[in-house]
Parts: sequence; structure tokens; C-alpha cells
Amino acid sequence: MNAPLLEVAGVVKRFGGIVAIDHVDLALLPGTITGVIGPNGAGKSTLIGLIGGALAPSHGTITLDGRDVTRLPASERARAGIGRTYQIPRPFLDMTVEENLEVAQYSIEPFISAGAARRARAELLVRTGLDDAAMFPARALPLLRRKRLEVARALALKPRVVLLDEVGAGLVDSEITELITLIKSIIDSRKAIVIVEHVIRVVRECCARSIVLNFGKKLIEGPTGEILANDEVAAVYLGTQGAREKRSACDGEPVADAAVHVGAPAAERDMLAPLIAAASSNVSDGPLLELRGVEAGYGQARVLKGIDLIVREGQAIAILGANGAGKTTLARVITGAIAHASGSLRFAGHDITGFAPHHIAAMGVAHCMEGRRIIPSLSVEENLKIAARRADAPKTRQRLNAVYDLFPVLAERKNSAGTSLSGGQQQMLAIGRTLMARPRLAIFDEISLGLAPVVMDKLYEALAMLKQARMTLVMIEQDVDRALALADYAYVLEHGVFGLSGSAAEIAANPLLRHIYIGAAD
Amino acid sequence: MKREKIAPAPREAAVILVAFAVLWFAPAFIGEYGLQLGFRTLIYLTLAEGWNLMAGSAGLVSLGTSCFVGLGAYVAYGLLNGLDLPLPAALVVCALSGAALAALVSPALFRLRGLYFTVGTLALAELLRLIMINVSAFGGATGFFLKNDPPALPILFRYALAVAVIAALAATLCVRTRASVILRSVRDDEDAAAQMGVRPFRVKLAAFMLASALAAMAGAVQAVKLGAIEPYGMFGLQWSIDVLTMVIIGGVGARLGPLVGALFVIALGEALADYPEAHIAIAGVILIVLIRFAPRGIVGLAAALGRAARGRALA
Repeated sequence: MNAPLLEVAGVVKRFGGIVAIDHVDLALLPGTITGVIGPNGAGKSTLIGLIGGALAPSHGTITLDGRDVTRLPASERARAGIGRTYQIPRPFLDMTVEENLEVAQYSIEPFISAGAARRARAELLVRTGLDDAAMFPARALPLLRRKRLEVARALALKPRVVLLDEVGAGLVDSEITELITLIKSIIDSRKAIVIVEHVIRVVRECCARSIVLNFGKKLIEGPTGEILANDEVAAVYLGTQGAREKRSACDGEPVADAAVHVGAPAAERDMLAPLIAAASSNVSDGPLLELRGVEAGYGQARVLKGIDLIVREGQAIAILGANGAGKTTLARVITGAIAHASGSLRFAGHDITGFAPHHIAAMGVAHCMEGRRIIPSLSVEENLKIAARRADAPKTRQRLNAVYDLFPVLAERKNSAGTSLSGGQQQMLAIGRTLMARPRLAIFDEISLGLAPVVMDKLYEALAMLKQARMTLVMIEQDVDRALALADYAYVLEHGVFGLSGSAAEIAANPLLRHIYIGAAD
Repeated sequence: MKREKIAPAPREAAVILVAFAVLWFAPAFIGEYGLQLGFRTLIYLTLAEGWNLMAGSAGLVSLGTSCFVGLGAYVAYGLLNGLDLPLPAALVVCALSGAALAALVSPALFRLRGLYFTVGTLALAELLRLIMINVSAFGGATGFFLKNDPPALPILFRYALAVAVIAALAATLCVRTRASVILRSVRDDEDAAAQMGVRPFRVKLAAFMLASALAAMAGAVQAVKLGAIEPYGMFGLQWSIDVLTMVIIGGVGARLGPLVGALFVIALGEALADYPEAHIAIAGVILIVLIRFAPRGIVGLAAALGRAARGRALA
């Protein structure tokens, strides 16, 4: 057996009093892909930061190919051959995609010939599917393409150790298949890859071995198959998806079971009462939200090409569709964040066409935005309070308590900075903030993105409770099974129009859904 | 996208050298007034190129220009008066001393990011000024006289021209070559740049040293022209503010921003020379209007108008 390429020994990282990584050991052999899974907040991104050099360990050593790199800054580790991606992409926004790669190329090889560098860039862009965007400013890329740029940039360093931090989040099945192909094309006998991922399929298909982190400690390490079948892992991490994994492994067919356990008792309904706007009697016969022939886009590109949508009070609506189909654009049109080109919008009987976002929000539309958008300079409680703009102090307090009842972890951390929370907690905060406005219509955009399955269970339980309490919900979701289990009606966006719509049960049973949504993956 | 169309480094360097050759013979054709104005423009162009290099390319917004102008002036006088060094040799030493001071203070200054860095450079300039005023060996509040007569104005113009050409070539080197993406990566996101193998400290230091060397040379030429220096003028905050104003008016980060800004501000000053109070007020109003309606300066505004015109032509 050859020596490990990268060795992490007894590494500890403390942030103030919090131990984020507690005596973790990890050895990467050349030619291997190692998966790191675990709940949100388990320390996975911290571990990536420690290996990449963005963070300095409090204790322990990190050795790359026999050389102690523990004290080297990030730039030197990158030069030594460690390439990482950021979970939340950090491209150089004002540079083109190609220039973003040049940074890595010219920093490690300032005198590489222009032709060789150009060929290497072209090859990387093709491999990561960004070749059509080479001349675009990185700012113009949507989130998922920015993630690809993260991978391309890391590879431009010609690294020996590649650290991929949640590059699969938010991808549909066919894109995940491409990602897996890409990862497998990177690996060779001199390299090692670490994958932090919540998309279990990536871990299962790429990683021979995996480790599970929980509360900063290594819970278990071993062959990926055994790890995923482990009961303890199912308990702390996989949740109901673990159950699904096992079942599908047994009988070989996918099971679209309910990911949530609806059945909120009356006490829970009372608890949520401060957050639910009462249905006003005068519009109860008409729809709460009505879109007619809405077209919208950015600049020349038309994303929505004629959308008709009716949402009635108390309904839960799921908007499904592949990446780039226009789901988020639709949400932004409803909330007034972007102006639509034609068509009309009515909310609670009023024509809101052309209204400003704050005006629409004041009428009772709350938007839980993709990517959470937590305000970093505010504490958890302050983040919640800013959404309760028109409520007096006692009402704000009632709503806060209701949100804390729904997500007790937020109460524990109410004085922490909003962005110091783990990904799952931040998503809870984003949902809580949406509820604080006591909306008549709440739009949840990709709330499960980048979350551990067990956390998704929690969030969907919360949504189920809200539905029970008769809140009107619009869910934009990548996870078809979860969304359809909860929704009354579902619409599938395809190329800017609703290609499919109907009751959730009909949609779930419709074979076209797999075709539209999952593409040519199967 | 637009960067692809702009001339690459050699072509731009050729343009600068042609301009150098043409302007070299300017003293034969323009009178005393023209030379005075030209001299002032070239000195400010040098400072503005350096400032734009730091702020526009590396993201280091400095209020410490006066610190290096003053340093160059004092070092030049020491070398010319004390050692009887020829002026070209003195200018080289001034540049080196500017760069050396930048290197000396960088470990402390680069611990500060963003606005804090700006305040740090301001403190540095004030510190140096106070030292000059209070230490009698440096001439105290009265300063120094130049021992020998300064060269004639046409000669001084050519010195200023040579220094400005060095500044313009340095800017071309930093903006039109591979160094450009490295500098901008540090400006946009230092941490992400480090993860790409870029050493942010060294990159910022290089930009800071280069800008400081240019400011010290400009300060030295200016001081020689004056024939006498004192700390309030050479270390005056006015230098830093003038340069910052010029680059913001011209366009921060734009290649032509320093040139357009220097020409604009100096032309404005001349047009309003008879009304000094109105001059400052009008310059202030222009700055406010530009920042409100053309945050990328005159160059940015022109580019936007050009794009709009092309768009109309296509439509």
C-alpha cells in the first residue's frame, strides 16, 4: 500500500468556545475519492477550509505528500496542489469566466505560453460545460453555473488534491449524472478527491470510502455502501431518505412515499396561529393570487412566456421544473422584484401589476428567497424582527415565540450572527423570517437546497404544519417527491410555460413528469 | 468582453512612446503658460496613474499620496543639496525610497482592509508631516531652499514628461498583461484569490510600492521646480484629495481615467482661475453630479453613451 497523499492528523478547530472540528483524522490515498457526509453544522465545510488553508487549525497537523503544510497560508497550499471550491461560490464577479480561470493559471505559472493556457482553459470549460459562457462576466452566471466555475477554477490549478464542497446541490438527475462523469474524469493515480455532498447519489457512485462527521467528530469511516446502510448514520443524517434508500435497494423500484408526517394536533395549530393571516371574507370566493399571460425576462432573454396561475386561499402549490426553466423568475415576478413584460397580476382582488416589491410585501406576500439571503450584520432575532414591520411589540413577541416553537434551535441561537449558523439553521431562519411577516401568501424558493436529508425532513414537517394551519403556500422545489407529497396542486415549468399541471397526485402519477423534469437521465 | 477589443500591451506602449517623442519637442512650440500647464498636468497624471493602479486595479484606496510626494521632495533636496547628485540619479533614489517606505509600512497597513486601509494611509501622511515640522534636522516648519538654481522650465517639463511616461508604461504593464487578472482578483476577493494560489500580500505590496515610487518621483520634480520646500505644502492633504478627485472624475479603474481626469480638473481650474472660490464650489458640484449619475467617471459615461449609440444604430 502506498503512502497517503494527504494526511490530516488529530486536527482541532475552535471558533471561540465552539469546537467545530474535534480531533479528526483523515488519510487520502492517491487515486481515491473520499466522501464526507454529515448533518448541516457537523463541520464539513470547516474541514474543507482547514485542508485548503483558509482556516488555521488550533491543533493537529496536515501533511501533503510528506510535507507539513499545517502552517502554510491558503495561497501556498494552492500552489502546493490543493484546489478547493466554495460551497457558496465566490467567483470574481467583474471578470469574465475565462479570466476567472486565468487567475489560477497565471498565479501558478506566470510565464506559461498564451496558447497553452488558452487550450487548457478551453478544455476545462468544455469539461465543466461552461464553454458557451467563456466571455460572459461571472456576475451573469446563475448559481449553479457559478458552482461549475468553482470546479473549473479549482481544476485550473492542476491540483493533486481536489476538495469539492457541495457542488451537486440543486442539480436535477441528468446534471448529477454529468457531474459524476466529470468527477470520475478528474481522478487519476496521482490525485485524490474529497467530496462534501448532500446529494447521496454522488457520494454513492463516486466514493469508495466515506466518513461521516457529526458535531465536529468523526462518527464512522468505511466503505460507502456500508456507511449508507448504517443505522446510526440513518439516525443522525439520512432520515427518511435513509429509509427510502434501503427500500429502493431492496425492491429495486423508487418509492414516492410521503417524506413528511402530517398530523399536526390542535395544539400545534394554536401555536402557529400568530403567524397565519386570517382569510378575509370578501375575497374568499375569488382566488388569492391570479396571474394571466405573464411574460418576463432579463434584458433580451425571455424566461417566462405566458404563465397563467391561480392560487386559492389555503392551497399549497408546488412549482416544479428543471434548472433554468424559470421557477425563480416566476417567484420574483410575483413579489415584484423584477418587472414583467406583459400580462397581469392580481392579489387578493387587487391589480398589483407594476407594484414595487415593498408594496406587494405589505399586502401580504412573503418570499423566502433562494440562497437564504440572511443579513450578516444582524443577529438571528434581529433578522426575524425586521420582517415584522407593521406589528407592534406584543405581536412581534407572539410571532417570535411561534417561530421559536417551530424551530427551537433558533431560540437557542437568537443572539448569534445570522450567518454564523449552519446551512440548515440558516434555512430555518429564512423560513422563520418569511413567517414573521404573517403573510397571506408565502413563497418558498428551493428551501431544501444544500441541506442534509434529515434537515429537509424537519423543514417539510414545518411546512406541513403550516399547511395544516391553512397558510397559503407556493413551493418552488427541486425535490419532486417531497414537494408533491405536500402540495395540493402542482405545475411543471418547461421552457417558460407550464408544460404540465394538475393535482399533486395526478402529476406524481404522470409519466411525462419524469420525462420533463429529469430529462434524459434514465 | 470589451477588454478583448482594446489594444494589447505592445500597441499601447507604442502609442505612449509616440506621445513621448512628440511632447518632447513641445517646449519649442508652446509658450511659458503652456509649459506651466503642461508641467502641472504631467505631475498630476503621474500621481493619478499610480493612484488608479492601487485603487482601480488592486482595490487599495489611498489618502497617502501626499506622504510620498513629500518624501520624494525631501529626499531629492537632501541628495541635490547634500551630495550634489545629478537630478536623474536623484530621481532614481527618490523612487527607491518611495518604494522602500511603502514596503516598510505595508505589514501594518495591509492588516487593514477597505476603508480602514484608507484611514491608515491618511494617518501615515500626517505622521510624516508632523515629523518634518517638529524635527529641526529636517528643516522644521520652514523647510529648505534648493542650493543651486533649478533647471529651466523646458528642461523641467521634459523631466515631468519622462516621469509621466514611466507611470503610463507601468500602468500599461499592470492593466494590459497577465498581471491585470491577478491584481483584479485581489481587488475582488482576496480570500478566493489566495485559494487560487495568488499571494495577496505580495500583489498589494507590488502595486503599493510602484504607486509610491511614482509619487516620490513626481514630488521630487515638483520640488525642484519650486526651488524651496516646506512641510505644509509638500505633505499637504491637498495632493491626496486632488489626485483622488481627478481619478474619480475621470473613471476609477479605467485605463484613460487618470488622463481624462487630470486634463479635466486642470482645464476647469484654468477656466475658473479668476474666481477661486467658485472653482472649488463648482468642482464640488461636478463631483457630486458625476458620482450620482456617472459613478464610473467621464470615461465610464462615454463608454455607456457609446454603447447606447451603437445599440440605436443596430436597432
